[in-house]
Amino acid sequence: MTTLNARASRRRRSPLGSRWTPYVFLLPAAAYIFVFQAIPLLQEVYLSFTRTNLLNPTRSEWIGFDNYTRVFASSDFQQTLGTTAVYVIACVVGAVGSGLVVALLLNGSFPGRGIARALVTVPWAAPGIATALIATWMLNAQYGIITRALRAIGVDVGESGILDNPDLALPAILLTTIWQLFPFVAVVLLSALQSVPTELVEAAEMDGANRLWVFRVVTWPVIRPTVGLIALLMTIWSLRRFELIWLMTRGGPLGTTRTLVIDLYSQAFDSKQLGAAAAIGMVGVVIAMIVVVGSRLVTRAAEKDTA
Amino acid sequence: MKRVRIGVVGRMIGVLIVLGIAVFPIYWMFTTALTSDADLFAPEPRWFPDFGQFYVFVDALAEGPTLTWLANSTIVAIGTTVFSIGLGIPLAYALSRFSFKGKVAVGLLLLMTQMLPEALMVVPLFSLYRRFELLDSLAGLILANTAFVLPIVALVLKGAIDGIPKELEEAGRVDGARPLAVLLRINVPIILPSIAAAAVIAFFHAWNEYVFAVTFIFNKSLQPASVGLAGFIGEQGTAIQTIMAVAFMFTLPAVAFYLFAQKYVVSGMTAGAVKG
Repeated sequence: MTTLNARASRRRRSPLGSRWTPYVFLLPAAAYIFVFQAIPLLQEVYLSFTRTNLLNPTRSEWIGFDNYTRVFASSDFQQTLGTTAVYVIACVVGAVGSGLVVALLLNGSFPGRGIARALVTVPWAAPGIATALIATWMLNAQYGIITRALRAIGVDVGESGILDNPDLALPAILLTTIWQLFPFVAVVLLSALQSVPTELVEAAEMDGANRLWVFRVVTWPVIRPTVGLIALLMTIWSLRRFELIWLMTRGGPLGTTRTLVIDLYSQAFDSKQLGAAAAIGMVGVVIAMIVVVGSRLVTRAAEKDTA
Repeated sequence: MKRVRIGVVGRMIGVLIVLGIAVFPIYWMFTTALTSDADLFAPEPRWFPDFGQFYVFVDALAEGPTLTWLANSTIVAIGTTVFSIGLGIPLAYALSRFSFKGKVAVGLLLLMTQMLPEALMVVPLFSLYRRFELLDSLAGLILANTAFVLPIVALVLKGAIDGIPKELEEAGRVDGARPLAVLLRINVPIILPSIAAAAVIAFFHAWNEYVFAVTFIFNKSLQPASVGLAGFIGEQGTAIQTIMAVAFMFTLPAVAFYLFAQKYVVSGMTAGAVKG
């Protein structure tokens, strides 16, 4: 880009403008993100080292790492971490697995393929609030269609229903989340599958090669980077997901669906402990950063291996 | 030949099962809205909508706050769209066409925003908003939503600008147009489809947003539909048919627009994640 700069200094009204031009384009958005994301984030970092009450937030007291030590010592938070791990891993595995199967199903020729590819995205397009509402209704203890179906095949979910059952609430929320996510995975993988050399697949199948073998040897290497990328996205999204869980169970029953984000919100707005809430939030942000940096390192190492 | 046929039939059956799973909950929302009380609480469920019940939809719109909710959601969504596209186009252009000091830092900032949950940012934004009297205002929601959707919008648009050959711009520069004029006259018309897709993303991000709306809005007449609908959960007064009718009317535009913009949305979001 030095040539550009040199040209810019030679001619004042260079086509690309002066060397300040990119900053002029950048400034509005960067300033905006700074005010609405960076400053609030720094405030949260500060809050996490203080004792601050929601009702009297101007009087906060610096307590160093106390929030963090207290949070990590509490058994509730250990449950939160465990639930978060189960939730995130199950979401990623469930959504990527089911999405891959659906992508392979849709990646062939059959009548009505265009319509099928469009309709399959409906769960992803539906607003989260609406999804929470319909899921809650379908899981209703007396009249929910899922409860009725389970009862019809002889499965007893208890008087209070699935979402109030400590053993069933998390699986129900997981299935709802996977329902929401699998179309995204399927559509993205479907487009990745377009770069799989069809001649190779057809030739292998002509030779009577096993389908699973063809998938492993021909298809998988092509789509693997995309799968990794989607898994990373799903991890970050699942660490952030709030409204679906909050509206379906509020983290209950007995804290079995309380993920980090739910924990942080109820600490802030139910217990009014802004400092502890911020500390929990920071744990979540650090986990997300570790996941992102870790995945980058793994990708880079893999690239080096192939190079 | 016979093997191929069985393959197609098997595939069709699989596809039909998947589509059933994908669409059934939305169908069930619609059907529940159009089910009479007697059918709703009968021992056997009613599987098909009863169009004699259609007044439920009419009443849901005519009575109660549904129209106000949808109007508030629309205002917030339009505001968020205009703001994020307006800020996103120059940002995308800077990231796509220039190399400058601090570009890596900007990229990191954008990546960072992807990791911040709204539920975490709601507390500091609340105190910021109290100071600047943005609580209880739709403008406050627009500003907060823009902050969260702007990075995604910018990455979608950057991907689109990356795809424009530089020669096109150079041809435009012969007559000595300034950078902003080049952007507006040459790049923007070419990337209109991607702008439309980014607008759909921004619009429905704001349409669906819940955490900020439920925390920053106290005045019931300013509630968007997401908060209004969420209020139905655990509340006993409203008939389930009405709830499902409102939920369906809230869902329909989102689904319709996403089907239309799907291709661009997906490619934009994955491109964004790659570059992040």
